[in-house]
Amino acid sequence: MTHNTDTSVKTEGVWKIFQTDGLSIEAVRDVSLVIGAGEFVVLAGPSGSGKTTLLNLLGGLSHPTKGRVWIADTDITDMSERELARMRLERIGFVFQAYNLLPVLSAKENAEFPLLLRGVAEEERERLVSELFEKIGIGGLEHRRPSKLSGGQQQRVAVARAVIGKPALVLADEPTANLDREASRALLDLMVTLNRDLGVTFVFATHDNELMERAGRLIHLVDGEISSDNKQVLR
Amino acid sequence: MNGRVRLLTSLAWRNVRRQARRSSLTAAAMIVGLALLMFSRSLAEGAHEDWIDAGVRLGSGHISVQSPEFRDRATIEHRISPRQIEQIQEALSADIIAAEVTATAPRITVRGLASSAAGARPVVIMGVDPELESAFSNLGDKLAEGRYLQPGDRLHAYIGTALASRLRLRLGSRLVLTAQDADGEITGQLARVAGIFESGIPTVDEGLIHIPLTTAQEWLAAEGELTTFAIVLRSSKSVASTFESIVSRLANSSGLSVLSWHETMPELDGAVRVDDFGDMIFHGILLSIVALAIVNTVLMSVLYRVREFGVLRALGLSQVQTGSVVFIEGLILTISSGFAGMILGISLTMLFFHDGLDFSFLFDSELTMAGIVIDPIIIPTFTTSLILNSVAFITLIGVLSSFYPALHAARVDIAESMKFEA
Ligand SMILES: Nc1ncnc2c1ncn2[C@@H]1O[C@H](COP(=O)(O)OP(=O)(O)O)[C@@H](O)[C@H]1O
Ligand SMILES: [Mg+2]
Repeated sequence: MTHNTDTSVKTEGVWKIFQTDGLSIEAVRDVSLVIGAGEFVVLAGPSGSGKTTLLNLLGGLSHPTKGRVWIADTDITDMSERELARMRLERIGFVFQAYNLLPVLSAKENAEFPLLLRGVAEEERERLVSELFEKIGIGGLEHRRPSKLSGGQQQRVAVARAVIGKPALVLADEPTANLDREASRALLDLMVTLNRDLGVTFVFATHDNELMERAGRLIHLVDGEISSDNKQVLR
Repeated sequence: MNGRVRLLTSLAWRNVRRQARRSSLTAAAMIVGLALLMFSRSLAEGAHEDWIDAGVRLGSGHISVQSPEFRDRATIEHRISPRQIEQIQEALSADIIAAEVTATAPRITVRGLASSAAGARPVVIMGVDPELESAFSNLGDKLAEGRYLQPGDRLHAYIGTALASRLRLRLGSRLVLTAQDADGEITGQLARVAGIFESGIPTVDEGLIHIPLTTAQEWLAAEGELTTFAIVLRSSKSVASTFESIVSRLANSSGLSVLSWHETMPELDGAVRVDDFGDMIFHGILLSIVALAIVNTVLMSVLYRVREFGVLRALGLSQVQTGSVVFIEGLILTISSGFAGMILGISLTMLFFHDGLDFSFLFDSELTMAGIVIDPIIIPTFTTSLILNSVAFITLIGVLSSFYPALHAARVDIAESMKFEA
């Protein structure tokens, strides 16, 4: 048991083995890592190297086959679905590759959804959303439906939703994969800024070499194993 | 918690609106199904009410009061005394009962023989009060020749066409009625044919004779007495409650037994039940088809939105909450369209058929069933219980057909649902 509140997420000897058609695929193999609060981590690796599988384990979207996972100082390994849902609501933000937003809600309603679920009062929500939308550069788009936003704008709203509740950890799984180069850079800039200014902890999976260089810490995954883990100076 | 329910409900509501095409398909199935159900139920209710009304008027009413032994052995031996008649009339004068009663008929009913020069036939002889009876039974309306009994009549008889031809009787012909009287003596009574009726029911046309009550009482040595006191109510729906009221008011009068039409006319009761059962099966099938259509469309929309449910779960909704969104969607759809269908069914039925539907084209001659003639004109009837049942049905379909899709949404594997086919 660790009681280090400076830890955002921690794993010990985590494995994820899929059984399909009598074949077992070791998607994540014996991964142990500690990510401190406020870090900006890029999880790099070719397609199929296990990035998504590892992020799902970190966010409590799936259970490890072996090993343990902590969010801050809470062991989530054996949590029930119900407890995991609550944990995600309170401590984790997700940004997926695309189609993150609920199509029937406006940009603002999407962004404030975690606050609504937590029962945050309207005034407080208004304030948080408008501040964040300004900062993220999508001020004025609050009432648009996702279908009326560009891909880059949609991902910004998704980032806003992920960070709005001040989670312990934001997991972003190739959020720029569907964006052009410029929009990708802008989205990464945004996350770096949020990390620097608000201290949001990001774990960002990508196989884009240019984006990797922007990481405070770069973890390479090969065949489900960590092949390198380097802190680097942020540029 | 309340805020969350509101959030999930508003999400569900918007999902229903967003999938307008799919939603309207589901709604259409439900609306047509319910409208059909309302129409067909109202016809069945109307038809049954007709059958029952025709049956009980010819028979011994919705409710009848007799001596307890009369039911097993219908002889003059088992009578109601003048004192008991007073008690019955007093019971009927209570407001809640009087409000339901539309006609009463004091009767003496005996089995006997009708004979003429041409021969003799076994008959049921009914001594009736001409005035009360003509408001009670519909036999007076089935007149073929002559007239029905009138107040002041003495030796007049009202007989059926079949009996008239068997005994070669015409208007004004004389016949002799023979039966056992109250003292156990076989006695005869002379009568003249005042009217001939044709009810369409062979056993009635062949074997029923109405004579004035006072004549019957004198002839059978039963002055002031009756065998049966028959009661017709406003509607068969109020039989159960009125029956209870009468029973409780007569509880202190010994030697009286109160019977409902269910007991006095078991064949009619059976016919209504069988018909209801058939309807139930038909409606069950109809509603199952509607429910399947709803399950299908709601489930399709779930399969198509797996990713959305993955997102909801990742955002921290529990399985129950995620399933609830779909469940509420299903309920909104079925319940709103169910009510629309119900209202449509009622208003269309009442708009076009408030004067009744004429089914006579289906039959070339009069249709009898369980000893009554069926009126080919059916007036659709909507009762409170029909409407309450339909509301329960709608809710049941809504719950049942939303449950499976909701379960499906709740069980979405988050990791799977978020995958991209590269
Ligand atoms: N549900 C699953 N069942 C079987 N194999 C899976 C499943 N999910 C992922 N895998 C396999 O695990 C490996 C890692 O996949 P993934 O984590 O998606 O990699 P990445 O995100 O780096 O592209 C791949 O070989 C993939 O085919
Ligand atoms: Mg991936």
